[in-house]
This record gives sequence, C-alpha cells and structure tokens, in this order.
Amino acid sequence: MKYVIIIALFLIVVTGCTTNSSVESDLCSDAGTCNAIKEPSSQAEITVDRIEIYHFHGVNQCFSCKTVGEFAEKTVNTYYKDLLDSGKMTFASINAELPENKELAMKYEVTGSSLWIGTYIDGEFHKEENTNVWYKVRDEAGYLSYLKGVIDKRLVGDLS
Amino acid sequence: MSLMAFMEAMGTSDIAIVAAFFIGLMTAISPCPLATNITAIAYASKKIDNSKHTIIVGFLYTMGRMFSYTLLASLIVWFGLSSQTLSLFLQDYGDKILGPLLLIIGIVMLNIIKLKTLKGGDWLNRLKEKLAEKGFIGSFLLGVVFALAFCPFSAVLFFGMLIPLAIKAGDGLLIPAVFAFATGLPVIIFSFILVYSVSKLGHIMNKVQIFEKWMRKIVGVIFICAGIYYLSIVLM
Repeated sequence: MKYVIIIALFLIVVTGCTTNSSVESDLCSDAGTCNAIKEPSSQAEITVDRIEIYHFHGVNQCFSCKTVGEFAEKTVNTYYKDLLDSGKMTFASINAELPENKELAMKYEVTGSSLWIGTYIDGEFHKEENTNVWYKVRDEAGYLSYLKGVIDKRLVGDLS
Repeated sequence: MSLMAFMEAMGTSDIAIVAAFFIGLMTAISPCPLATNITAIAYASKKIDNSKHTIIVGFLYTMGRMFSYTLLASLIVWFGLSSQTLSLFLQDYGDKILGPLLLIIGIVMLNIIKLKTLKGGDWLNRLKEKLAEKGFIGSFLLGVVFALAFCPFSAVLFFGMLIPLAIKAGDGLLIPAVFAFATGLPVIIFSFILVYSVSKLGHIMNKVQIFEKWMRKIVGVIFICAGIYYLSIVLM
C-alpha cells in the first residue's frame, strides 16, 4: 500500500510538472500544430499577403504519406481554386530528398513526410506543421473539412 | 466515436504523458514497428517452456526501445541537436541497415550457413550461442536497433508529434520513455498471452520440447521475412 501511494504521488508530481511547463510554452498549439513564431497580438490590422501549403515527402512513401498529400491537394483544388489562380495561395507536393528542394526543406525544417502551412502576415513568415491530418487519412470528408477550417483561419491571420 | 477519432483525442491530450502514450500505441501498430514487434514477439517466445524467460525478454526489448527513444529525445531537447538532421539520417540509413541485419540474423538462426566453416566462425558461433541461450542482451539490443529504424510514418509519429511534445514540455526523459513503453506494449502483452496459451497447450499435449524446437525455426523465418519487408521498402 505504501508503495502504491509513493508511486501515485510521483505520477501526480511528474504529470503536474509536465502540464505546467506546457502552459508556459507557446511553441505548439493544442490543435496539433507548431508555430515557429508567436501569433500577433492584434488581429485588427492584419494583412495576409500569401499562404503556402506544402506536402513534403521522401522517395519512399507510405500509404498514409501519399494520402496526406492527395487530400491536401484535393482540399485546395476544391475550396481555393481562385486563390491558387491569383497566386495568393501555393500548393505543392515536394520531394524533400531532391537537391533542388533542399533549401525549401531547410526553410521549413522538415523532418520527413509532413504537411506544412506557411503564412506571410504583414511581411512576416509563420510556419507550422499540421500533424492532426494524419489521424484523418481514412476519412476524406473529415480531412477536407478540417484542413479547410485551418486554412480559413490562416487566411484571416488567425494562427490559433 | 471511431477508433482514429479516439486516438486523435488522446494523442493530442493536454496531459503530455497521456498524449505520448497514445502516440506510442499508434506507432506500435503502424506497419514498420509492427513488423519489428512481431519479430520481437517471435524472439521472446523462443524458449516458450520458460515463461519467466519469455516475459523478461519482452520487457528487456521494450527497455531497449526506451533507451533509443530517450537518447534521441534528450539529444534534441537538452543538447539542441537538430531534429531535422537526426530524422533524415535515421530514415535514410535505418531501414537500409535493418533489412540486411534481420536477414543475416534469420539465416544464422536457421543454421543455413554453418558459422564454424567461416573464418572467425568459432567466435561468432560462441557469441550466437550465448545470445541465443540467454537472450537477455540480445533482446535489449534488438529493442535498441529496431527503435532506430524509422520508416516514413513512424518518423512522423516520433519526430512530428512526440518530439514537439517533449520540446514543449522541456522533457527529454519521461515523455519519450512513456512513448517507448507504449511502442513495446504489444510485445509484452503477446509474450504473456503466448506463455500462457502455448505452455498450457504444450503441457496438455506433453510436447513443449517439440514446440520449442519448431519455435526456433519459426523465429528464423520471421526474421528473414521482416528483413525482406524492410529491404522491399528500400528497394521499391
């Protein structure tokens, strides 16, 4: 019994420490995205110049890796055709292993197969990796509607 | 709520340890780690008549995985090593090394090549016997090596989900350790199930020894299959 109490106390302390430190940091949001730069405090004067959506991958692609890219492409082609045509939005599937793409992969600090959103707000660049999409590779409708929700927010300068 | 929605809710939990555990479970059932876990389960059940041995091997394998994951995470979180460099390096070389390694272990286990006929074979043979007999160091090393072989999807889960979580919490030890425990959990659970069912069945049929003899062959074949699987990823 004594040991159970000690272990329980240990877990409470450790969990407490972990959750406390997560509150202090603002690198990642709870929505499964990690922002490289803090979001702007005021959204009233925000101008979103441009938005980039990149699906990075390697030469060897798993089923989920391909699907993440395919669904992302479908999302932008379905909902943002006008923005793509006007050049305000860019979408590309990038093989990060090719030498010509190294610079872009370095800019986004790509660690492998991933979906990234780059937003240029008032000339400032914000990048984020969205990992929530990986849970939706077997739910196309859910994926499209989720990603549309994220992109819609970014288009008005909301980085939450 | 679907299973994936549940995994997402848990994997993005505000409590970092809970999130790490469920990201680990996702990893355990994703293709590449699943192949290595099946190989480890087979390895653990070599000496199926000795239930204590099987269970210890399962635990040591998980400890090996824990060693690798905490090492990587602490190098990134505490020593500032580039997550990008590590991830790309391990994805580049991990499966290239693991495929041939598994094939070689499988071939040695099946005794297809007699080590004694090779130069330095006596030493290798003694090492093989030692590892096969005890299996404790072997299982730990298997865990260490298997954890380092990243496939595209397992890299997403570790470098894309777990590492940001560990960085956010500033924790390079507990979070990756919980993650590692979850990735090895199927091995521990299946070791228990195997020990219980096979020994019971074996005793009923009075054929534990025959089970064990066959198990060694099956383990070799599983290693070779896993090796071919990894090589196919590299070559395709």
